[in-house]
Amino acid sequence: MTEPEGPAAIAGLGMTELGKVFGRSPRRLAADAVRLAVADAGLTLADVDGLLVSHGMSGSPGIELAASLGLRDLRLLSQLSALGATAGAMISYAAMSVLTGAASAVACVFADAPLAPERPTGAAYHRDAPEYHGFRGMTAALGFRSVNAFYALATQRHMARYGTTSEQLGAIAVATRRWAARNPRAQLRDPITIDDHQRSRWVVEPLHLLDCCLVSNGAIAVVVTGAARARDLARTPTYIWGWGQGHPGHRRERGGPGGPGRRGERGEWGLTTGAVTSGQVAMKMAGVTTEDITLCQLYDCYTYTVLVSLEDYGFCGKGEGGAFAASGALGPGGALPINTGGGQLSAYYMWGMTPLSEAVIQARGDGGERQVEANDVILVSGNGGILDHHSTVILSPHTRG
Amino acid sequence: MEIGVVRRDGRGEAFFDGAAAGRLVIKRCGDCASWYAPDATECPGCGGELGWAAASGRATLISWAISHARPRQDGPVPTTTVPTTTVLALVELSEGPWLHSRLAEVDRADLREGLPLRAHFEHPDEGESYLVFHPESSVLTDHFSGDRPGEEPRP
Repeated sequence: MTEPEGPAAIAGLGMTELGKVFGRSPRRLAADAVRLAVADAGLTLADVDGLLVSHGMSGSPGIELAASLGLRDLRLLSQLSALGATAGAMISYAAMSVLTGAASAVACVFADAPLAPERPTGAAYHRDAPEYHGFRGMTAALGFRSVNAFYALATQRHMARYGTTSEQLGAIAVATRRWAARNPRAQLRDPITIDDHQRSRWVVEPLHLLDCCLVSNGAIAVVVTGAARARDLARTPTYIWGWGQGHPGHRRERGGPGGPGRRGERGEWGLTTGAVTSGQVAMKMAGVTTEDITLCQLYDCYTYTVLVSLEDYGFCGKGEGGAFAASGALGPGGALPINTGGGQLSAYYMWGMTPLSEAVIQARGDGGERQVEANDVILVSGNGGILDHHSTVILSPHTRG
Repeated sequence: MEIGVVRRDGRGEAFFDGAAAGRLVIKRCGDCASWYAPDATECPGCGGELGWAAASGRATLISWAISHARPRQDGPVPTTTVPTTTVLALVELSEGPWLHSRLAEVDRADLREGLPLRAHFEHPDEGESYLVFHPESSVLTDHFSGDRPGEEPRP
């Protein structure tokens, strides 16, 4: 076993066709993505000795994927689940595995195919039923039938507390679409304006349709190896400088003295997220601060998720995310480019693999029309649940000095 | 107010018995006396067993969201889809737990964090009685009763 040198690195990236891709099961898509990632790295499947599989919607593959790929003598094999934070978690476990010598080449993959040809897109994550059962069924019957309603509550709470406006959220949608126009892989590339955002239908007010992400079929995989090995492989390594997770466990109840909440806290659900802790841990590990980060790929299931993540990472103050977004900082030519591939709002919805894949593309300088020159330190986020779970990865084309 | 038919599932009997009688019945820890939502299964505080207890029905508003009718161009509208403009709400019971519910008889201009609310039960012809919240005191002007057609998005 060779001594690990420097940080772990992403040596390979594999992406299937993404979007309205029909006729392939999630397992097949996952296998295709792993094969693509391994080939991209200049490796063969026989070189892979670790496989981490992300959970997805029903039908996403589990560890049986190893058999589908004919992988033998694996030293690491698991399915991970931290909802939208899973991709970051997979990268961190893969990095720890190669740094400790537990494995030497770990493939990490997400695959899903919730879209069906004849079904409206919204139906993939929305449930209607003729009857509703039990207390939770009653809650669904009253209108809580998809995550949209819960994110709408969180967004409205931020608006009421800090004066955040729908137009400010629209600035995130518009900036993201400007990036998507420069990405041939993006599902939605036609330019939009704030006015288009304002006139798009309500999903659940205060969320317009253009505040909400796409739904996509497809798969994305990466291969993680040690730094020295990555340098001998086919592609420019993307070094993994740091990682973190944050799961604040906001309790859905009253806090404060005499209340059942712990530590005297007022319930801040919807207003602050695990990005606070996750970001601090990852940045400390990487030896950087927000000042050093020149590019972010942020999990954008909704425009609001981007806004609250920017605040919680410390790129602006709490409550200032709306003004920050409206300043034009996030789009092409802005001071802090965000979601340069078009994110999940405009490009493709592969959960945490959407921001991770774009970070690797940018770190390699493969962004084409959308390439950001200042790609030295890239922050990647993942968010799951209703702002309950968060992961961060900090990547760079450079080994750490 | 049409919401679809609610049936019991064998786990929330005391809640639905209470709802039928117009009383809010929620969970309470037998060991540490902390209150929880009706779907809680154990006490995160002390690990104790939860039983059922009558709550006051008083609550305050934490946040809200407005559900609009789904437009027809997005596909066929099932009969159970929320058909109208309704106010979804996250409320804090005076006993502490937060519940996801719906507001009725509320003036949109009055919506704010901390708005005092009171539990109210609807008794449909078919299915179980269900819980919504009304403002504690309100002089109604332009209220959402929950059965008006969806409104156009505001600019």
